Amino acid sequence: MSDKPAVCVRIADDLLATAIGEASPSAAERVERHVAMCGSCRRELQGYRALEGAVATMRAEPHPSEQTVQARQRLETELADLRQRLLAYRIFPSPLGHILIARSELGISLVEYLDRGTTLKASRLANEPGVETAEGGPGLEAIYRDLMEYLNGRRQRLDWPLDLRLARSDFQRSVLEATAAIPYGAVVSYVGLAHDIGKASATRAVAQALRWNPLPIAIPCHRVIGASGALTGYAGSKLGLKQRLLTIEGVPTTKEGDGPAIRARAMYVLYPGDREYCIPTCPSLDTRKPAPLTRFGSRRHAEAVGLAPCTTCRPDLHPISG
Amino acid sequence: MVMGQEDFGAVVSAHHDEIFRYLRRAIGPAGDAEDLSQETFLRAYRAFAALPKDANVRAWLFSIATNLAKNYFRSETRRRRAYGEVQGGARAATSASQEAELLSREAGGLVEGIVQRLPFKQRLAFTQRKIHGLDYGAIGKNLGCSAESARAHVFQALRKVRHGLDGYGLLPGEPAQ
Repeated sequence: MSDKPAVCVRIADDLLATAIGEASPSAAERVERHVAMCGSCRRELQGYRALEGAVATMRAEPHPSEQTVQARQRLETELADLRQRLLAYRIFPSPLGHILIARSELGISLVEYLDRGTTLKASRLANEPGVETAEGGPGLEAIYRDLMEYLNGRRQRLDWPLDLRLARSDFQRSVLEATAAIPYGAVVSYVGLAHDIGKASATRAVAQALRWNPLPIAIPCHRVIGASGALTGYAGSKLGLKQRLLTIEGVPTTKEGDGPAIRARAMYVLYPGDREYCIPTCPSLDTRKPAPLTRFGSRRHAEAVGLAPCTTCRPDLHPISG
Repeated sequence: MVMGQEDFGAVVSAHHDEIFRYLRRAIGPAGDAEDLSQETFLRAYRAFAALPKDANVRAWLFSIATNLAKNYFRSETRRRRAYGEVQGGARAATSASQEAELLSREAGGLVEGIVQRLPFKQRLAFTQRKIHGLDYGAIGKNLGCSAESARAHVFQALRKVRHGLDGYGLLPGEPAQ
């Protein structure tokens, strides 16, 4: 290069840019003027243009090669595998403290109160075998918004697709599924829930299963209480939280005595299998075999699930006051 | 749907083949481009949910792929040093298939062979610009340098390729198309 005339050396960069179509109009014009007089630079320019042609043939690969197809197939398989085990999560502040929400491609798989920190390290996901995590995106925002609306009493249904794969056993899964069916503003007892899943003697196991509920709020384990009306327990030691959630749903509670409890006498009741709800002193109840009752904080919530007022005690004419 | 799996299916359809081809050139025929493109998309999938809606997915995939290629190149270099293999240029060992390409009179194949012997950064810059049409800003980001330097790498590569073609009778007077 050094034996080239200085003018050719100076224009070399513009010449290359011109050949590949990246020169400014004025530079291209300078180059054209120069190559009109300089044979060696003209050949150089033609050489680069010919190279552009060769590069174009490399760029065009109309049919994917066999290797490409193979690589693509292997990728699809591995992706399917990753999708199975990947949970996208986000951590949000809330009036109940920091909450982690995670989802798989099947649905929401975890709602977790973070007590021990505000990062993934504080979550059970950090130690969950067979699970990969990725900090998630905009989709979880909508779930969080639903949750906030629920906590503000502006939403009664959380119609999220749920993924129960974090449940620890089929038994727990059946408990969770039965719990998911308890309506907004209602409570049942652990005994009642054990009845519902056909394991009347498994009250303790039912309570344990709910203690490890991977989807609190979404699966409303706060609506399950002791047979005496005591709130009993929630997510370890968050009894205050349980009371708060029930209050949001209009379930009357009291703190008197041994601990928080519902005010059963201020709630409407439903005998298992009935389509009518009663006041707790309805004479029809005395004539029947005692059974675990579902209790409603208000007539509105009972009627929202299609129940009619009892024709004996007429809660519509004689509502419970206070 | 919230995680955008369907969208990601479209990302794979739209970009897999190109990224695979890019990696094949970036690490050379002796390297395992299939592994690297696999890893590119698995990483992308993990991060996809957090990617801003308006992000340039293609540029993003190129940056992931380039990082993986750089790591691969580093560890290959270390490995070859450890085994005392000859280290001339970016990829001294010319495989049989490259030899065949060099012997080919077909200009694309010939250029392909010369590109394989470019220094690593120039090879990446050349491939990103001339084969995949990325802009210099994106190339600079991928290579960890300015757009200016990215352009300089591409120009340097073009000069080398151009001079590598001397003597094959493919240039002036005998257009290569």
